[in-house]
Amino acid sequence: VRGCSAGSAPSAAPLWLLSAAELGYTPALTKTPFLEGLTTASTFVLDQPRCVFDDYGNADIWLVVALDKAATTFNNTAGPGTPETAFQDFPDPVPAYMTLNATLANYPCPKPAGDISVLRVGSETSCAQDPARPTCNGPLPGPGPYRVKFLALRGSEPVAETAWSEPIMLRTAKSPSSISTTGSGHSAGMIAITTILSILFAILLAGLVAMLVFWGSDSCGGSSTFSKPESVTVRRYNTHHVYDQPAARL
Amino acid sequence: MAKSEDCVHILQGLLVFGNVVIGMCGIALTAECIYFVSNPHGVYPLLKATENNDIYAAAWIGIFVGLALFALSILGIIGVIKASRTLLLVYIILMLITFAFEMASCITAATHRDSVTPQLFLKQMLERYQKSEPANDIEVTKTWDELMLQNHCCGVLGPSDWQEYTSAFRLTHSDADYPWPRKCCVLDAQGLPVNLDGCKLGVPGYYNSNGCYDAISGPVNTHAWGVAWFGFAILCWTFCVLLGTMFYWSGIEY
Repeated sequence: VRGCSAGSAPSAAPLWLLSAAELGYTPALTKTPFLEGLTTASTFVLDQPRCVFDDYGNADIWLVVALDKAATTFNNTAGPGTPETAFQDFPDPVPAYMTLNATLANYPCPKPAGDISVLRVGSETSCAQDPARPTCNGPLPGPGPYRVKFLALRGSEPVAETAWSEPIMLRTAKSPSSISTTGSGHSAGMIAITTILSILFAILLAGLVAMLVFWGSDSCGGSSTFSKPESVTVRRYNTHHVYDQPAARL
Repeated sequence: MAKSEDCVHILQGLLVFGNVVIGMCGIALTAECIYFVSNPHGVYPLLKATENNDIYAAAWIGIFVGLALFALSILGIIGVIKASRTLLLVYIILMLITFAFEMASCITAATHRDSVTPQLFLKQMLERYQKSEPANDIEVTKTWDELMLQNHCCGVLGPSDWQEYTSAFRLTHSDADYPWPRKCCVLDAQGLPVNLDGCKLGVPGYYNSNGCYDAISGPVNTHAWGVAWFGFAILCWTFCVLLGTMFYWSGIEY
């Protein structure tokens, strides 16, 4: 395992050790700037491998996308554009495909500040069903998890590779029928309005009934003909005939 | 006798004052409800689509109740000054009927405000936005497009609504090409996205990151609470005036 940019040329490797130099770079999802579409249901966004492949100016840099469980069994000598690495047959029977062909010129170093240098894996929809384009960067067929690495090929020889990334999970969409729209209960304001108004209305109705039942009863400043019955006294006017009866009274 | 005369006059004065206030409040209620009903805030199609437009019914009732309150307050003033038992009895009964209607309007407005939740609109948007078959949904689609365009917002809670849930939109637009509708992108004068890739990636500045729920619930809240609480205040005042009128009525000489 060689450190990155250490300067040892891969052509100095013994011919029987035809293994790619492993660079100490791990591909990762973009952290800055924050992207809302970092992972969607069928795409994800990686940082570009800037200043990683500086020693391999004339190599083709490919992105290898593999199912998590197939990452360790990927053979670097599998060529891009062959049926073994065609996107259209991913994930079954092809467990890993190669796409996003680029050269060092596409990843200039150093990265200018303020530029957003990302790779969107899954953005090409036009070639997703086209078997004539096996290196299509088509939308991923499921939520994953997936692992990716960059592989530099000179001709058909792998000369350098990065480490495999951490497993990348994509989003799974739920059905809208799982959203519950039953009310969150009644707010305090609504309960207050209802109870207070009901009470007031009941009091008014009671008042109306009382008013009509006790029609004309006494109150502030009013006098009514039915409040107190006038006492009727009939005086017996005595005339001079009255003295006939004194004995009966005693 | 002078004391009870004063008592009567004070009561009369209070009742006339109370009725004047009721009349003015009635006019104000009518004006407020006409404003709410005619206000082109554009969320009415969404509420209608959720069968949740009872807030508008409450506002319509408010218009007529306001006019009734104004007319009845004039009747009340005349009745109090003339100390006429029949006029006041008619006044009290009609006022009670108006009270009942306004009570219904307030309670309807408050109840239906409570049922307007983000989940209601989220579900409606996911199931009906850009759905092609029933004609109803052209209204919903158009309303959402206008809402998102004018308020620079996306979805109900945010663009991730389109990612977290499957939708009618997702059936016709692939996730890779349309993580969210094009209307969520920042558009130029011709109505095209300023930077389509930036919008698809979700780069801040090229897409609208906030949800439209605030733009919907703001007007709905104002309408509902305007109708409910103002109506409630008027009814409390009317209650006092009516009690005073009943008291006065029972004191009038037969």
